[in-house]
Parts: sequence; C-alpha cells; structure tokens
Amino acid sequence: MAKKDKEDDEFRPTGTIAILAIFVVTLIAIWATIYMILVGRGGTTL
Amino acid sequence: MSAQNIHIDSYERNWMIFSFVLLVLFATAVSVAAFGMGIEVPAPEQRVDPNTVATDPNSPWSNPGLREISAGKYDAYILARAIPNWEYLPREMTVPAGSSVSFYVTSSDVQHGFMIQNTNANFMVLPGQVSKLTVTFDKAGTYNFICTEFCGSGHGVMYGAITVTP
Amino acid sequence: MKQYQVSAAEKKFIGSHILVAVLALAVGSFFGPLQAFEHAGWDFYIYLKPFIKSYYQGLTVHGVLNALVWTTFFIMGFLTFNVIFGLKRPLKNIVLNKVGFWLMVVGVVAAAAPVLMNEATVLFTFYPPLKANPFFYLGLTLVVVGSWVEGWGLIITYLGWRKENPSERTPFVAFASLVTFVLWQICTLGVAVEILTMLLPWSLGLIEGVDPQLARTYFWFTGHPLVYFWLLPAYISWYAMLPKQAGNGKMFSDSLARLSFWMFLVLSTPIGIHHQYVDPGVPPVWKFLHSMFTFGVFFPSMMTAFTVVASLEHAGRKQGGKGALAWIGKLNWSDPAVASQLLAGILFFFGGIGGLANASYNVNLVLHNTAFIPGHFHLTVSTAVTLSFMGISYWLVPYLTGRKLWQPKWATIQAWTWFVGMIIFSNSMHVLGLLGAPRRVPLGLAPYVPAEWNSRLFQVGLGGAILFLSGAIYLVIMYMTATNKQRVESEVEVPIAEAMQDPALGPAWLDRWAPWVYAALGLIVLMYGPVLFDMIKNIALTSPGFRVW
Repeated sequence: MAKKDKEDDEFRPTGTIAILAIFVVTLIAIWATIYMILVGRGGTTL
Repeated sequence: MSAQNIHIDSYERNWMIFSFVLLVLFATAVSVAAFGMGIEVPAPEQRVDPNTVATDPNSPWSNPGLREISAGKYDAYILARAIPNWEYLPREMTVPAGSSVSFYVTSSDVQHGFMIQNTNANFMVLPGQVSKLTVTFDKAGTYNFICTEFCGSGHGVMYGAITVTP
Repeated sequence: MKQYQVSAAEKKFIGSHILVAVLALAVGSFFGPLQAFEHAGWDFYIYLKPFIKSYYQGLTVHGVLNALVWTTFFIMGFLTFNVIFGLKRPLKNIVLNKVGFWLMVVGVVAAAAPVLMNEATVLFTFYPPLKANPFFYLGLTLVVVGSWVEGWGLIITYLGWRKENPSERTPFVAFASLVTFVLWQICTLGVAVEILTMLLPWSLGLIEGVDPQLARTYFWFTGHPLVYFWLLPAYISWYAMLPKQAGNGKMFSDSLARLSFWMFLVLSTPIGIHHQYVDPGVPPVWKFLHSMFTFGVFFPSMMTAFTVVASLEHAGRKQGGKGALAWIGKLNWSDPAVASQLLAGILFFFGGIGGLANASYNVNLVLHNTAFIPGHFHLTVSTAVTLSFMGISYWLVPYLTGRKLWQPKWATIQAWTWFVGMIIFSNSMHVLGLLGAPRRVPLGLAPYVPAEWNSRLFQVGLGGAILFLSGAIYLVIMYMTATNKQRVESEVEVPIAEAMQDPALGPAWLDRWAPWVYAALGLIVLMYGPVLFDMIKNIALTSPGFRVW
C-alpha cells in the first residue's frame, strides 16, 4: 500500500495556505456585507 | 508513530483551529444582532383554523386591517390568500413615519410568504399559524410587501404596499 | 498491476443508473433556461402551451428531474461502483440491487407522469396544502424505497467483505460511499413519514386535512441532509480520484478525510430547522440551537477544503509546479474530467459562502426565499455536484462501456461554458436576492419589479443561454460516446489516489460504525425530539388540499 516517499515528507502545502487565505478573506467580506445589510435594515422584534 | 494516533499536519491543524475560531466569531455576531440589536426571528404566536379564520366574526382576520392601539403603535391583521385572486387583505396601508407596526399574518388556503422590501420583515405564512413580527418605519416612502412562497398560478402578482407618510 | 475487474453485468447495471440520470437531466435542463429567459423578458412558455401549461409546471419539471432524479440516479450508480471497486468484490446479491433500481425507475415514471400532465405543479418541495395527484407522492416514495433497497445491497456486500477482512481498513472510496448511503438512509425517514402519514393518505382522500407546519418540519429533516447526499459523492471524487487525475497526487490526509465523513453523518441531520428560521410555528430556541450546529457542520467542509486543495497541490508540485499559486497551471487541465471538477470546486467556494450566510440565524431574514437561494444552490447542487458528476461521467462512461470519449476537446469546452454561464447567472441571482427579489416568481411579468433590477434580470437570461448551450453539448457528448464505434484500447484506468500515510496506521476508531451511528441518532433525538414531540402532540389536520395552478 501507500509507502511514505521522502518527497512526501518534504511536501509542505504552502500554496494551499495561499488559496485558503484568499478564500477566507472573500468569505469574511461577503458574509460581513450581508450582515451589514441586516443591521442596516433595522429591528424585527417579537 | 502510534497506530492509535491520528496524524494531522501542522498547517492543517492550524487551519482547523482557525476555522473553529472563525465560526465562533460568526456565531457571536449573529447572537449580538439577535439579542443585542433586536433583530429576531418569528416565534409561535397563535394557532387558528384556516377554514374559519377569514369568516368567523370573532377572528380579527374576518375584518383584516390596521388598528392603532396607542400613539404611533399599530397592529396590522393581514390575510394572505390564493383563492380567489392571490392577494393580501388589505392590499394597502398608510402609517406616519416613526410608527411601530406589529404584523399578524395568516393564510386561509395554501402557504405564502411575506417580505416587506427594505426591512428585515421576511417570514413564512402558513395556514393554521399566525406569523408575527414588529417593525418600526422611520423613513417615509412606499414599502412593497411581496409573497415569497409559491402559492399557485398567481404567485408572481401577489403583493401589497405600506405607505409611510412624513 | 492489473486493476480489479468489475463484471460486465455489474458495469451494465451501473451504466443503467447513469443512463436514467442523463435522460432526466436532458428533460429537466431544457426547462431550466426557460425560467432564466423569462426573467430577461423572453417568455418561451407561450409557445409550449399545448404541452406545458405554465412557468410553474416547467419549474416543477426542472426541479424534480434535475435536483431529485438526475442526482439520485447518478449517485446510486456511482456509490455502487465505488463499493464494488473499492472492496474489490462483486455485489453480494445483484438481484436485490436490481429490485431497488427498478423500484426507483417505476417511481420516477409514476411521479413524472402527473407532473407532465400538470396534475402535480407543486415544485420540488411539494409543500402542502398544495395537493398533487396521489401518483406523485407514491412515485417519490418508490424512488426513496428503491434507493434504500439498493443501499442495503451495498451494506450486505460490505458485511461480507468485513467478515473475510476483520482487521483491514475499509478502502476509502467504499468507506465514504457507505457513509453517504447511511446518511441517506437515516435522513429520508423524515420525508417518508411526511408522505406516508400525511400526504399520501390525504391525496387519496383517506384523511381530510394536513398540518402544514409539521409537514415542513418533516420535509426539512430530510431536506438539509439531502444536500450532503448530493455533495458527498462529489467529495469522494475530489478527495480520492481528482488528485490522481490532476497529476498523480496523493490524498493529503486519509484520517481527516474519514473524520470529515463521520462528522457529516453525525451533524448534517440535526440542523434541518435552519431552513425554517422564519416559520411561525417553530420556537426560536430550536432555531438558534440548529443554527449553532449548522456552524458545526461547516467545520468538516473547511477540513475538506484543506485536504482536497493540498492533495491537488501535491499533484501540481509533482508535475513541476512552482510558486504559491502557479502550480495550479500544471494540473492536467486538458483532461475534461479534471477541468470540470476543478471548475466545480472553484465555484463551490462561493456556494459555501452563500450557504454559511443562509444558515446564519437572523441573517436569513435578508435572504429567505429571495433569488439569493436559487443563486446559491445553482453553485452547489447545479455546479459543485452536477459539473463534478459530468466530469466523472467523462471517464466513467468510457470505463463502463469500453467506448472512447467523443471529442474530449468539446467536453473541456462544455466544462468552461458551464463555469462561465453559471458565474453570470448565479452572481446576478445573488445580487437580485440582496435587493429583495423573491424566488419562484416569473420576474419578467411581476408587477412590483423596479427598473434597477432589469440589468440583473438580463444577466440571468444571458447566463441561462450559455448554460443551455453547455448542457446541450454535454448531452451530445454523452450520446456520441455511448454510441461511439471507436473503442478504448484497454480498460480505462480507475483513478484512485493513494493516501500519503498508510490508512492502516490511522486510528481504528475511524473504521468503527457503531459509535458514529449512535451519535448521529442520539443527536437527532436531542435536536428534533422535543420540537417534533410538541408538534405531533398538538397536531391540527385542518388544511384541506388546494389545486391552485
């Protein structure tokens, strides 16, 4: 089965961090935009 | 490496911790909006019989409309119906700016929705249930309320309007 | 090393699932763009009057055939393949699986007939008291029961394997497919109870009325995990197949992949009330609790994002890719199976963002039943899932039939046009929703549409036109491949990515069913028990049926 290659041990997913960083910034920006629309439209009480 | 230990790459572990913190922050933000700023979702209000709610003289929806209960405070009893002609009763209401209006909406036939444009009032309207939310209209203007759940052929024309006078 | 040989009978059986799936997609997708065109002011429904009576009948055909039939048949075929190939073992009892398959086929015919006759224009959510012809409910029941029977056939196959291999780790694709099926088995109980105790007897005239609030609650018990039933098969391919196809990459973390599947099993059902935040008859405390657990189910998706992207990066670096992002270009984009799934994955990032917003408790007041919702699920089920399934079919159909993929270049064009069309369509739908446009409305005719929506409505139509083209290319490729005279030289290699760490070194608790299944059932009792108990205790079967279309 899967033997551990030396190159696999050296593999560091730096590009993954870069992609996920872009994703998280987008996620926060879009989510916060919608959240601000919510806050801007005012209260709905029971 | 012990056979019972789950191997987690250090980058991935950090990502998992970060994701967890991020989700906690989102959860905090919605809690603040709900319990700090008074942006709440509907709660069970009242059960009714959809077969008689529009006709029973004791039911407020047999005479739907706006009632001023004290200065600047209104109750709006609204009936949503597909039969005969996909409409809200009443279709139009007028209140002065600064009014706080509690909407009590129910249906005498199928499921409907009720969304007042440019406010957070947006909820389901179900036969047998009363949906209630209270909104304050600070700015003058016309606010359409629109049906947001499929209720038959005329769903796309089902709407009404609240006029807020200065 | 020669790969495991799936028998000709099994290949044919799996292939018949794909055939029904693609036929459903062909009919259903024809009606998708018609909704989009209507939004742009180009109403083609007037020309279809003899066959299709209304926008809403078309919308029902589109939703039922695409969201329910295309997905379910493709998934049952793909999961069956994964279990056989993963365990390297034939189906224990192919007759049982065939019975399940034919129950599903009969169910689809029974449900589709009233839809096409305009006797079940109730959309794919079939909320009562809209009342469809009884055959619609009966057909849906048969589809669900048939899928159960097929799944049981997979489970007994697994149990036979387990008996002979008591201490082996279940191979990942078989493991993940079985988890997906068990999730489906548990979550469909909601809709089964809804149909069997309320909708079917009511449509047959055996009971006078239904309780619409209770029906919605049963429906969403199934409705949310249904999303994961669609999504997890795509995840299986992204985790365990795509890295191999993209450049001989390995699965970055086998253990975390397994853990995320268990988390989906445990967390995806007891959160269904996040579809009912604005329902009148559900206490806010349950809405809030379900929202917190929904944040929880986002967690395994974040893990999936990491593991899948890291596995792809591994492939890219193996092909000589450099830099933080430049390695992406080294992936095998010329293979349509790869291009489709990479593009599907890119749009899924945005689908996930929209989903998180929908699920964020009161943020849903901005989004509920607006055009944002179809905008969102066209990124998820119609792209992350559908475009991935299209990509899978680009290798699976040649594998099953022994016929060469017809014009791989066109298949790549198909993937890109789907991607571009969906960006245009979905972006404008999201924006319209934020502006307050409702869903499920022929907005081209609605009297309240302000002028500022018009440019977005045009983009909806434009995106729909590109998608229409892309869908047509897909169908031509499938037809030409299935009838291709050119045969493959040797059996198509099934892409299975090895894991970086030997799965046998992972913890044994990741290969034990009981704790996870009990946890899933226990959480369902905790999160749904009190709220359902209350609703059933106070049931009011007061709503008679309506046919208002």
